[in-house]
Amino acid sequence: MIDWFAFLVVLVSALVGATVVVIAYSLGIRLLTLSGRTPIVTPAEFTDAITVVTPAEIRQAEKRAAKAAKKSPLTEGQKRAAFVGAWACFTISAIAIILGVYLIVGEHVFELFG
Amino acid sequence: MDLTLIVVLVIALALFFDFTNGFHDTANAMATPIATGALRPKVAVGLAAILNLVGAFLSTEVAKTISGGIIREGDDGVFITPELIFAGLIGAIVWNMVTWLLGLPSSSSHALFGGLIGAALVGFGVQAIDFGVVMSKVILPAVLAPLTAGLIAYTATKLAYAITRRYDGKPDGRDGFRHAQIFSSSLVALAHGTNDAQKTMGVITLTLVAAGMQSSGDEVQGWVIVTCAVAIALGTYMGGWRIIRTLGTGLTDVKPAQGFAAETSTAATILASTHLGFALSTTQVASGSVIGSGLGRRGSKVRWRTAGRIGIGWLMTLPAAGAVGGLAALVAQLGIAGVIIDAIAGAVVIAGIFLWSRRNEVSHHNVVSEVADSGRAVKIKRNPKPKRKVAP
Repeated sequence: MIDWFAFLVVLVSALVGATVVVIAYSLGIRLLTLSGRTPIVTPAEFTDAITVVTPAEIRQAEKRAAKAAKKSPLTEGQKRAAFVGAWACFTISAIAIILGVYLIVGEHVFELFG
Repeated sequence: MDLTLIVVLVIALALFFDFTNGFHDTANAMATPIATGALRPKVAVGLAAILNLVGAFLSTEVAKTISGGIIREGDDGVFITPELIFAGLIGAIVWNMVTWLLGLPSSSSHALFGGLIGAALVGFGVQAIDFGVVMSKVILPAVLAPLTAGLIAYTATKLAYAITRRYDGKPDGRDGFRHAQIFSSSLVALAHGTNDAQKTMGVITLTLVAAGMQSSGDEVQGWVIVTCAVAIALGTYMGGWRIIRTLGTGLTDVKPAQGFAAETSTAATILASTHLGFALSTTQVASGSVIGSGLGRRGSKVRWRTAGRIGIGWLMTLPAAGAVGGLAALVAQLGIAGVIIDAIAGAVVIAGIFLWSRRNEVSHHNVVSEVADSGRAVKIKRNPKPKRKVAP
Protein backbone atom coordinates (compact mmCIF):
# COMPACT_ATOMS: atom_id res chain seq x y z
CA MET A 1 0.00 0.00 0.00
CA ILE A 2 0.95 3.60 -0.18
CA ASP A 3 3.56 4.89 2.16
CA TRP A 4 1.39 7.32 4.10
CA PHE A 5 4.29 8.62 6.08
CA ALA A 6 6.14 9.60 2.90
CA PHE A 7 2.99 11.28 1.61
CA LEU A 8 2.67 13.21 4.85
CA VAL A 9 6.28 14.30 4.50
CA VAL A 10 5.57 15.56 0.97
CA LEU A 11 2.40 17.38 2.09
CA VAL A 12 3.98 19.05 5.09
CA SER A 13 7.26 20.00 3.44
CA ALA A 14 5.50 21.38 0.34
CA LEU A 15 3.02 23.30 2.53
CA VAL A 16 5.76 24.75 4.71
CA GLY A 17 7.96 25.62 1.73
CA ALA A 18 5.18 27.30 -0.25
CA THR A 19 3.77 29.24 2.70
CA VAL A 20 7.17 30.47 3.85
CA VAL A 21 7.92 31.82 0.37
CA VAL A 22 4.48 33.37 -0.05
CA ILE A 23 4.34 34.89 3.44
CA ALA A 24 7.82 36.39 3.15
CA TYR A 25 7.16 37.87 -0.27
CA SER A 26 3.72 39.20 0.67
CA LEU A 27 5.12 40.81 3.80
CA GLY A 28 7.81 42.34 1.61
CA ILE A 29 5.17 43.84 -0.68
CA ARG A 30 3.24 45.13 2.33
CA LEU A 31 6.32 46.76 3.84
CA LEU A 32 7.38 48.20 0.50
CA THR A 33 3.96 49.82 0.19
CA LEU A 34 4.25 51.12 3.76
CA SER A 35 7.63 52.63 2.96
CA GLY A 36 5.96 54.72 0.29
CA ARG A 37 7.33 52.84 -2.71
CA THR A 38 4.26 51.02 -3.94
CA PRO A 39 5.37 48.81 -6.81
CA ILE A 40 3.57 49.59 -10.07
CA VAL A 41 4.37 46.74 -12.42
CA THR A 42 2.44 46.69 -15.67
CA PRO A 43 2.06 43.54 -17.78
CA ALA A 44 5.04 42.86 -20.04
CA GLU A 45 2.79 42.26 -23.00
CA PHE A 46 -0.96 42.51 -23.41
CA THR A 47 -2.08 39.14 -24.69
CA ASP A 48 -5.78 38.80 -25.34
CA ALA A 49 -6.37 37.60 -21.83
CA ILE A 50 -5.16 40.76 -20.16
CA THR A 51 -7.12 43.95 -19.88
CA VAL A 52 -5.01 46.62 -21.52
CA VAL A 53 -3.75 49.33 -19.22
CA THR A 54 -3.24 52.64 -20.97
CA PRO A 55 -0.24 54.86 -20.19
CA ALA A 56 -2.66 57.38 -18.72
CA GLU A 57 -3.98 54.77 -16.32
CA ILE A 58 -0.45 53.84 -15.34
CA ARG A 59 0.35 57.49 -14.59
CA GLN A 60 -2.85 57.69 -12.58
CA ALA A 61 -1.89 54.65 -10.54
CA GLU A 62 1.54 56.14 -9.91
CA LYS A 63 -0.01 59.40 -8.81
CA ARG A 64 -2.36 57.60 -6.45
CA ALA A 65 0.57 55.70 -4.97
CA ALA A 66 2.58 58.90 -4.54
CA LYS A 67 -0.38 60.60 -2.86
CA ALA A 68 -0.86 57.70 -0.49
CA ALA A 69 2.84 57.76 0.31
CA LYS A 70 2.74 61.48 1.07
CA LYS A 71 -0.23 61.08 3.41
CA SER A 72 1.44 58.23 5.23
CA PRO A 73 1.49 58.82 8.98
CA LEU A 74 4.89 57.15 9.28
CA THR A 75 8.02 59.15 10.00
CA GLU A 76 10.95 59.11 7.58
CA GLY A 77 12.83 56.76 9.91
CA GLN A 78 9.91 54.35 10.06
CA LYS A 79 9.62 54.43 6.29
CA ARG A 80 13.28 53.63 5.93
CA ALA A 81 12.92 50.77 8.40
CA ALA A 82 9.95 49.45 6.40
CA PHE A 83 12.00 49.61 3.21
CA VAL A 84 14.86 47.67 4.76
CA GLY A 85 12.34 45.21 6.20
CA ALA A 86 10.78 44.74 2.77
CA TRP A 87 14.08 43.80 1.24
CA ALA A 88 14.86 41.53 4.17
CA CYS A 89 11.59 39.72 3.41
CA PHE A 90 12.38 39.44 -0.30
CA THR A 91 15.77 38.03 0.63
CA ILE A 92 14.19 35.45 2.94
CA SER A 93 11.86 34.44 0.14
CA ALA A 94 14.77 34.07 -2.28
CA ILE A 95 16.83 32.10 0.21
CA ALA A 96 13.88 29.77 0.83
CA ILE A 97 13.62 29.08 -2.92
CA ILE A 98 17.36 28.54 -3.31
CA LEU A 99 17.35 26.25 -0.29
CA GLY A 100 14.47 24.26 -1.79
CA VAL A 101 16.31 23.81 -5.07
CA TYR A 102 19.47 22.91 -3.21
CA LEU A 103 17.70 20.28 -1.13
CA ILE A 104 16.51 18.58 -4.29
CA VAL A 105 19.51 18.86 -6.52
CA GLY A 106 22.41 19.65 -4.20
CA GLU A 107 23.73 16.12 -3.80
CA HIS A 108 23.32 15.36 -7.45
CA VAL A 109 25.17 18.48 -8.53
CA PHE A 110 28.08 17.43 -6.33
CA GLU A 111 28.07 14.05 -8.04
CA LEU A 112 28.10 15.69 -11.46
CA PHE A 113 30.98 18.02 -10.73
CA GLY A 114 33.04 15.75 -8.58
CA MET B 1 20.33 -7.59 -35.63
CA ASP B 2 16.61 -7.55 -35.05
CA LEU B 3 17.13 -6.74 -31.42
CA THR B 4 19.33 -3.73 -32.20
CA LEU B 5 16.78 -2.45 -34.69
CA ILE B 6 13.92 -2.69 -32.25
CA VAL B 7 15.95 -1.06 -29.48
CA VAL B 8 16.77 1.85 -31.78
CA LEU B 9 13.10 2.14 -32.74
CA VAL B 10 12.00 2.12 -29.11
CA ILE B 11 14.53 4.77 -28.15
CA ALA B 12 13.44 6.99 -31.04
CA LEU B 13 9.83 6.56 -30.03
CA ALA B 14 10.63 7.23 -26.36
CA LEU B 15 12.36 10.45 -27.32
CA PHE B 16 9.36 11.42 -29.41
CA PHE B 17 7.16 10.78 -26.38
CA ASP B 18 9.47 13.03 -24.39
CA PHE B 19 9.02 15.68 -27.06
CA THR B 20 5.20 15.45 -26.92
CA ASN B 21 5.48 15.59 -23.14
CA GLY B 22 7.28 18.94 -23.28
CA PHE B 23 4.95 20.03 -26.03
CA HIS B 24 1.88 19.15 -23.98
CA ASP B 25 3.05 20.58 -20.68
CA THR B 26 4.57 23.99 -21.47
CA ALA B 27 1.43 25.60 -20.22
CA ASN B 28 1.79 24.01 -16.77
CA ALA B 29 4.60 26.36 -15.94
CA MET B 30 3.93 29.28 -18.20
CA ALA B 31 0.16 29.69 -18.43
CA THR B 32 -0.13 31.82 -15.29
CA PRO B 33 2.80 34.22 -15.86
CA ILE B 34 1.65 34.82 -19.44
CA ALA B 35 -1.91 35.33 -18.20
CA THR B 36 -0.92 38.01 -15.71
CA GLY B 37 1.59 39.59 -18.06
CA ALA B 38 4.53 38.85 -15.78
CA LEU B 39 6.51 37.61 -18.76
CA ARG B 40 6.33 38.15 -22.48
CA PRO B 41 5.03 34.95 -24.06
CA LYS B 42 8.19 34.46 -26.12
CA VAL B 43 10.42 34.97 -23.12
CA ALA B 44 8.26 32.69 -20.99
CA VAL B 45 8.43 29.77 -23.39
CA GLY B 46 12.14 30.18 -24.04
CA LEU B 47 12.74 30.25 -20.30
CA ALA B 48 10.61 27.15 -19.80
CA ALA B 49 12.59 25.28 -22.46
CA ILE B 50 15.96 26.19 -20.94
CA LEU B 51 14.85 25.30 -17.42
CA ASN B 52 13.40 21.97 -18.55
CA LEU B 53 16.76 21.22 -20.11
CA VAL B 54 18.60 22.11 -16.92
CA GLY B 55 16.07 20.31 -14.71
CA ALA B 56 16.51 17.06 -16.60
CA PHE B 57 20.14 16.92 -15.52
CA LEU B 58 19.49 17.56 -11.88
CA SER B 59 17.88 14.39 -10.57
CA THR B 60 17.29 10.78 -11.49
CA GLU B 61 15.08 9.76 -8.57
CA VAL B 62 11.93 9.34 -10.63
CA ALA B 63 13.69 7.51 -13.46
CA LYS B 64 14.64 4.83 -10.96
CA THR B 65 11.01 4.50 -9.88
CA ILE B 66 9.73 3.86 -13.38
CA SER B 67 12.33 1.39 -14.48
CA GLY B 68 11.33 -0.98 -11.70
CA GLY B 69 8.21 -1.87 -9.78
CA ILE B 70 4.99 -1.70 -11.73
CA ILE B 71 5.83 -4.50 -14.13
CA ARG B 72 7.12 -7.57 -12.31
CA GLU B 73 10.50 -8.20 -13.76
CA GLY B 74 13.31 -10.60 -13.12
CA ASP B 75 13.48 -14.24 -12.19
CA ASP B 76 10.17 -14.44 -10.33
CA GLY B 77 8.26 -12.36 -12.87
CA VAL B 78 8.32 -11.70 -16.59
CA PHE B 79 11.00 -10.40 -18.88
CA ILE B 80 9.45 -7.46 -20.67
CA THR B 81 10.53 -7.28 -24.30
CA PRO B 82 11.47 -4.17 -26.28
CA GLU B 83 8.49 -4.95 -28.57
CA LEU B 84 6.07 -4.50 -25.69
CA ILE B 85 7.71 -1.27 -24.56
CA PHE B 86 7.39 -0.11 -28.14
CA ALA B 87 3.68 -0.93 -28.12
CA GLY B 88 3.22 0.83 -24.79
CA LEU B 89 4.91 3.96 -26.11
CA ILE B 90 2.65 4.00 -29.14
CA GLY B 91 -0.33 3.94 -26.78
CA ALA B 92 1.10 6.80 -24.73
CA ILE B 93 1.98 9.00 -27.71
CA VAL B 94 -1.30 8.47 -29.53
CA TRP B 95 -3.29 9.33 -26.41
CA ASN B 96 -1.11 12.38 -25.74
CA MET B 97 -1.65 13.66 -29.27
CA VAL B 98 -5.39 12.97 -29.25
CA THR B 99 -5.92 14.81 -25.97
CA TRP B 100 -3.79 17.68 -27.19
CA LEU B 101 -5.94 17.91 -30.32
CA LEU B 102 -9.22 17.75 -28.41
CA GLY B 103 -8.02 20.03 -25.65
CA LEU B 104 -8.86 17.29 -23.18
CA PRO B 105 -6.93 17.49 -19.95
CA SER B 106 -4.63 14.53 -19.51
CA SER B 107 -1.43 13.61 -17.81
CA SER B 108 1.55 12.59 -19.91
CA SER B 109 2.80 10.33 -17.16
CA HIS B 110 -0.51 8.51 -16.90
CA ALA B 111 -0.55 8.03 -20.65
CA LEU B 112 2.89 6.46 -20.34
CA PHE B 113 1.93 4.19 -17.45
CA GLY B 114 -1.34 3.25 -19.15
CA GLY B 115 0.37 2.33 -22.41
CA LEU B 116 2.99 0.22 -20.70
CA ILE B 117 0.47 -1.54 -18.47
CA GLY B 118 -1.82 -2.26 -21.43
CA ALA B 119 1.05 -3.72 -23.45
CA ALA B 120 2.27 -5.88 -20.56
CA LEU B 121 -1.27 -7.17 -19.90
CA VAL B 122 -1.61 -8.29 -23.51
CA GLY B 123 1.90 -9.70 -23.60
CA PHE B 124 1.93 -11.66 -20.38
CA GLY B 125 -1.49 -11.52 -18.78
CA VAL B 126 -2.53 -10.28 -15.38
CA GLN B 127 0.39 -11.74 -13.44
CA ALA B 128 2.79 -9.34 -15.16
CA ILE B 129 1.40 -6.33 -13.34
CA ASP B 130 1.98 -5.61 -9.71
CA PHE B 131 -1.36 -3.99 -8.96
CA GLY B 132 -0.29 -3.04 -5.46
CA VAL B 133 2.46 -0.91 -6.95
CA VAL B 134 0.09 0.51 -9.59
CA MET B 135 -2.23 1.55 -6.78
CA SER B 136 0.44 3.04 -4.55
CA LYS B 137 2.64 4.64 -7.22
CA VAL B 138 0.13 5.71 -9.86
CA ILE B 139 -3.50 5.79 -8.81
CA LEU B 140 -3.32 7.08 -5.25
CA PRO B 141 -0.78 9.80 -6.09
CA ALA B 142 -3.09 10.83 -8.94
CA VAL B 143 -5.88 11.40 -6.43
CA LEU B 144 -3.67 12.91 -3.77
CA ALA B 145 -1.48 15.15 -5.94
CA PRO B 146 -4.13 17.63 -7.11
CA LEU B 147 -5.76 17.66 -3.67
CA THR B 148 -2.44 18.37 -1.97
CA ALA B 149 -1.49 21.05 -4.46
CA GLY B 150 -4.97 22.56 -4.29
CA LEU B 151 -4.91 22.72 -0.51
CA ILE B 152 -1.47 24.31 -0.48
CA ALA B 153 -2.39 26.81 -3.19
CA TYR B 154 -5.61 27.70 -1.35
CA THR B 155 -3.69 28.40 1.84
CA ALA B 156 -0.95 30.33 0.04
CA THR B 157 -3.45 32.49 -1.88
CA LYS B 158 -5.43 33.30 1.27
CA LEU B 159 -2.20 34.29 3.00
CA ALA B 160 -0.93 36.42 0.11
CA TYR B 161 -4.20 38.32 -0.08
CA ALA B 162 -4.62 38.66 3.68
CA ILE B 163 -1.14 40.04 4.17
CA THR B 164 -1.36 42.62 1.39
CA ARG B 165 -5.00 43.62 1.94
CA ARG B 166 -5.59 47.29 2.69
CA TYR B 167 -8.83 48.42 4.24
CA ASP B 168 -8.23 52.11 3.63
CA GLY B 169 -8.54 51.83 -0.14
CA LYS B 170 -4.95 52.92 -0.73
CA PRO B 171 -2.82 51.14 -3.37
CA ASP B 172 -1.91 47.67 -2.12
CA GLY B 173 1.11 47.09 -4.34
CA ARG B 174 -0.08 43.67 -5.47
CA ASP B 175 1.37 44.47 -8.89
CA GLY B 176 4.68 43.64 -7.30
CA PHE B 177 3.79 39.95 -7.40
CA ARG B 178 4.50 40.05 -11.12
CA HIS B 179 8.21 40.20 -10.40
CA ALA B 180 7.91 37.22 -8.06
CA GLN B 181 6.03 35.27 -10.69
CA ILE B 182 9.08 35.29 -12.95
CA PHE B 183 10.94 33.29 -10.32
CA SER B 184 8.11 31.05 -9.19
CA SER B 185 7.14 30.03 -12.73
CA SER B 186 10.79 29.38 -13.52
CA LEU B 187 10.89 27.08 -10.54
CA VAL B 188 7.86 25.18 -11.88
CA ALA B 189 9.58 24.74 -15.24
CA LEU B 190 12.70 23.50 -13.49
CA ALA B 191 10.66 21.12 -11.36
CA HIS B 192 8.91 19.87 -14.48
CA GLY B 193 12.29 19.07 -15.99
CA THR B 194 13.43 17.23 -12.89
CA ASN B 195 10.24 15.16 -12.89
CA ASP B 196 9.04 14.58 -16.45
CA ALA B 197 12.23 14.07 -18.42
CA GLN B 198 12.92 11.32 -15.90
CA LYS B 199 9.99 9.31 -17.09
CA THR B 200 11.47 8.90 -20.56
CA MET B 201 14.87 8.16 -19.10
CA GLY B 202 13.19 5.43 -17.09
CA VAL B 203 11.60 3.93 -20.20
CA ILE B 204 14.85 3.95 -22.18
CA THR B 205 16.68 2.37 -19.26
CA LEU B 206 13.93 -0.24 -19.05
CA THR B 207 14.45 -1.00 -22.75
CA LEU B 208 18.21 -1.29 -22.40
CA VAL B 209 17.74 -3.64 -19.47
CA ALA B 210 15.17 -5.67 -21.42
CA ALA B 211 17.55 -5.97 -24.37
CA GLY B 212 20.33 -7.09 -22.05
CA MET B 213 22.47 -4.06 -22.81
CA GLN B 214 22.48 -2.87 -19.22
CA SER B 215 22.04 -4.65 -15.90
CA SER B 216 18.88 -3.76 -14.00
CA GLY B 217 20.41 -2.15 -10.93
CA ASP B 218 22.53 0.32 -12.89
CA GLU B 219 22.34 4.09 -13.00
CA VAL B 220 20.78 5.92 -15.93
CA GLN B 221 23.40 6.29 -18.65
CA GLY B 222 24.84 9.67 -19.57
CA TRP B 223 23.75 9.80 -23.20
CA VAL B 224 20.20 8.88 -22.15
CA ILE B 225 20.06 11.89 -19.83
CA VAL B 226 21.40 14.24 -22.52
CA THR B 227 19.05 13.12 -25.30
CA CYS B 228 15.99 13.15 -23.01
CA ALA B 229 16.84 16.61 -21.74
CA VAL B 230 17.19 17.95 -25.28
CA ALA B 231 13.98 16.27 -26.47
CA ILE B 232 11.83 17.70 -23.67
CA ALA B 233 13.35 21.17 -24.04
CA LEU B 234 12.74 21.13 -27.78
CA GLY B 235 9.16 19.98 -27.25
CA THR B 236 8.58 22.72 -24.70
CA TYR B 237 9.87 25.36 -27.06
CA MET B 238 7.90 24.11 -30.06
CA GLY B 239 4.66 23.47 -28.20
CA GLY B 240 4.66 26.86 -26.64
CA TRP B 241 4.03 28.78 -29.83
CA ARG B 242 0.69 27.18 -30.39
CA ILE B 243 -0.37 28.03 -26.88
CA ILE B 244 0.90 31.59 -27.14
CA ARG B 245 -0.96 32.33 -30.32
CA THR B 246 -4.23 31.43 -28.73
CA LEU B 247 -3.68 32.03 -25.07
CA GLY B 248 -6.18 34.82 -24.80
CA THR B 249 -9.18 32.73 -25.68
CA GLY B 250 -8.60 30.20 -22.95
CA LEU B 251 -7.21 31.92 -19.95
CA THR B 252 -9.20 33.28 -17.12
CA ASP B 253 -8.63 36.28 -15.09
CA VAL B 254 -5.60 35.30 -13.03
CA LYS B 255 -4.23 37.99 -10.76
CA PRO B 256 -0.50 38.28 -10.02
CA ALA B 257 -0.82 37.41 -6.32
CA GLN B 258 -2.94 34.39 -7.16
CA GLY B 259 -0.61 33.28 -9.95
CA PHE B 260 2.39 33.57 -7.66
CA ALA B 261 0.70 31.50 -4.95
CA ALA B 262 -0.36 28.84 -7.46
CA GLU B 263 3.11 28.59 -9.02
CA THR B 264 4.86 28.40 -5.68
CA SER B 265 2.52 25.63 -4.55
CA THR B 266 3.01 23.69 -7.77
CA ALA B 267 6.77 23.97 -7.54
CA ALA B 268 6.85 23.03 -3.86
CA THR B 269 4.64 19.97 -4.39
CA ILE B 270 6.56 18.70 -7.41
CA LEU B 271 9.96 19.28 -5.87
CA ALA B 272 9.00 17.61 -2.59
CA SER B 273 7.60 14.56 -4.36
CA THR B 274 10.49 14.33 -6.82
CA HIS B 275 12.85 14.31 -3.90
CA LEU B 276 11.06 11.27 -2.48
CA GLY B 277 10.86 9.53 -5.85
CA PHE B 278 7.10 9.82 -6.38
CA ALA B 279 6.23 10.02 -10.06
CA LEU B 280 3.60 12.74 -9.82
CA SER B 281 1.80 14.13 -12.80
CA THR B 282 2.84 17.76 -13.18
CA THR B 283 -0.35 18.49 -15.13
CA GLN B 284 -2.49 17.33 -12.25
CA VAL B 285 -0.47 19.21 -9.67
CA ALA B 286 -0.58 22.43 -11.70
CA SER B 287 -4.31 22.08 -12.33
CA GLY B 288 -4.95 21.43 -8.64
CA SER B 289 -2.97 24.55 -7.77
CA VAL B 290 -4.83 26.75 -10.23
CA ILE B 291 -8.20 25.60 -8.88
CA GLY B 292 -7.05 25.87 -5.27
CA SER B 293 -5.69 29.38 -5.73
CA GLY B 294 -8.88 30.44 -7.47
CA LEU B 295 -10.87 29.22 -4.50
CA GLY B 296 -8.56 31.16 -2.21
CA ARG B 297 -9.80 34.45 -3.67
CA ARG B 298 -12.82 36.14 -2.21
CA GLY B 299 -16.12 35.64 -3.98
CA SER B 300 -14.97 32.62 -5.98
CA LYS B 301 -17.17 29.72 -6.97
CA VAL B 302 -16.30 26.37 -8.56
CA ARG B 303 -17.62 25.71 -12.05
CA TRP B 304 -18.32 22.07 -11.42
CA ARG B 305 -18.99 21.30 -15.09
CA THR B 306 -15.46 22.25 -16.11
CA ALA B 307 -13.99 20.63 -13.03
CA GLY B 308 -15.95 17.46 -13.81
CA ARG B 309 -14.73 17.43 -17.40
CA ILE B 310 -11.14 17.67 -16.17
CA GLY B 311 -11.77 14.82 -13.72
CA ILE B 312 -13.21 12.59 -16.44
CA GLY B 313 -10.19 13.28 -18.63
CA TRP B 314 -7.95 12.11 -15.81
CA LEU B 315 -9.98 8.95 -15.26
CA MET B 316 -9.93 8.14 -18.98
CA THR B 317 -6.21 8.49 -19.53
CA LEU B 318 -4.96 5.29 -17.94
CA PRO B 319 -7.47 2.88 -19.56
CA ALA B 320 -7.50 4.67 -22.92
CA ALA B 321 -3.72 4.71 -23.32
CA GLY B 322 -3.76 1.14 -22.02
CA ALA B 323 -6.22 0.08 -24.71
CA VAL B 324 -4.11 1.61 -27.49
CA GLY B 325 -0.97 0.11 -25.96
CA GLY B 326 -2.65 -3.30 -25.69
CA LEU B 327 -3.82 -3.18 -29.28
CA ALA B 328 -0.35 -2.21 -30.45
CA ALA B 329 1.07 -5.07 -28.36
CA LEU B 330 -1.27 -7.56 -30.06
CA VAL B 331 0.07 -6.49 -33.44
CA ALA B 332 3.67 -6.30 -32.23
CA GLN B 333 3.54 -9.96 -31.20
CA LEU B 334 3.46 -10.92 -34.88
CA GLY B 335 7.20 -10.30 -34.80
CA ILE B 336 9.23 -7.77 -36.70
CA ALA B 337 6.47 -7.31 -39.30
CA GLY B 338 4.06 -6.48 -36.50
CA VAL B 339 6.39 -3.88 -35.08
CA ILE B 340 6.71 -2.28 -38.50
CA ILE B 341 2.91 -2.26 -38.92
CA ASP B 342 2.67 -0.61 -35.48
CA ALA B 343 5.26 1.98 -36.39
CA ILE B 344 3.51 2.83 -39.66
CA ALA B 345 0.07 2.94 -38.05
CA GLY B 346 1.41 5.14 -35.26
CA ALA B 347 3.08 7.48 -37.72
CA VAL B 348 -0.11 7.73 -39.77
CA VAL B 349 -2.20 8.57 -36.71
CA ILE B 350 0.31 11.17 -35.49
CA ALA B 351 0.63 12.76 -38.94
CA GLY B 352 -3.16 12.76 -39.26
CA ILE B 353 -3.58 14.48 -35.90
CA PHE B 354 -0.94 17.02 -36.82
CA LEU B 355 -2.61 17.80 -40.16
CA TRP B 356 -6.02 17.96 -38.50
CA SER B 357 -4.68 20.43 -35.94
CA ARG B 358 -3.39 22.62 -38.78
CA ARG B 359 -6.83 22.64 -40.32
CA ASN B 360 -8.72 24.08 -37.40
CA GLU B 361 -5.93 25.94 -35.74
CA VAL B 362 -7.99 28.92 -34.74
CA SER B 363 -10.65 27.08 -32.80
CA HIS B 364 -10.04 27.40 -29.08
CA HIS B 365 -11.15 23.85 -28.31
CA ASN B 366 -7.92 22.30 -29.48
CA VAL B 367 -5.52 24.80 -28.04
CA VAL B 368 -6.74 25.73 -24.61
CA SER B 369 -4.18 24.41 -22.20
CA GLU B 370 -5.33 22.09 -19.47
CA VAL B 371 -4.09 24.27 -16.71
CA ALA B 372 -5.69 27.34 -18.15
CA ASP B 373 -8.83 25.28 -18.42
CA SER B 374 -8.68 24.47 -14.72
CA GLY B 375 -8.75 28.18 -14.08
CA ARG B 376 -12.18 28.26 -15.63
CA ALA B 377 -13.40 25.78 -13.08
CA VAL B 378 -13.46 28.63 -10.61
CA LYS B 379 -15.65 31.62 -11.16
CA ILE B 380 -14.74 34.87 -9.50
CA LYS B 381 -17.58 37.26 -8.82
CA ARG B 382 -17.04 40.97 -8.65
CA ASN B 383 -15.53 41.42 -5.25
CA PRO B 384 -17.15 43.69 -2.72
CA LYS B 385 -14.80 46.05 -0.92
CA PRO B 386 -13.01 44.31 1.93
CA LYS B 387 -14.38 45.23 5.34
CA ARG B 388 -12.54 44.86 8.55
CA LYS B 389 -14.34 42.56 10.94
CA VAL B 390 -15.62 44.65 13.82
CA ALA B 391 -14.91 43.25 17.24
CA PRO B 392 -18.16 42.80 19.19
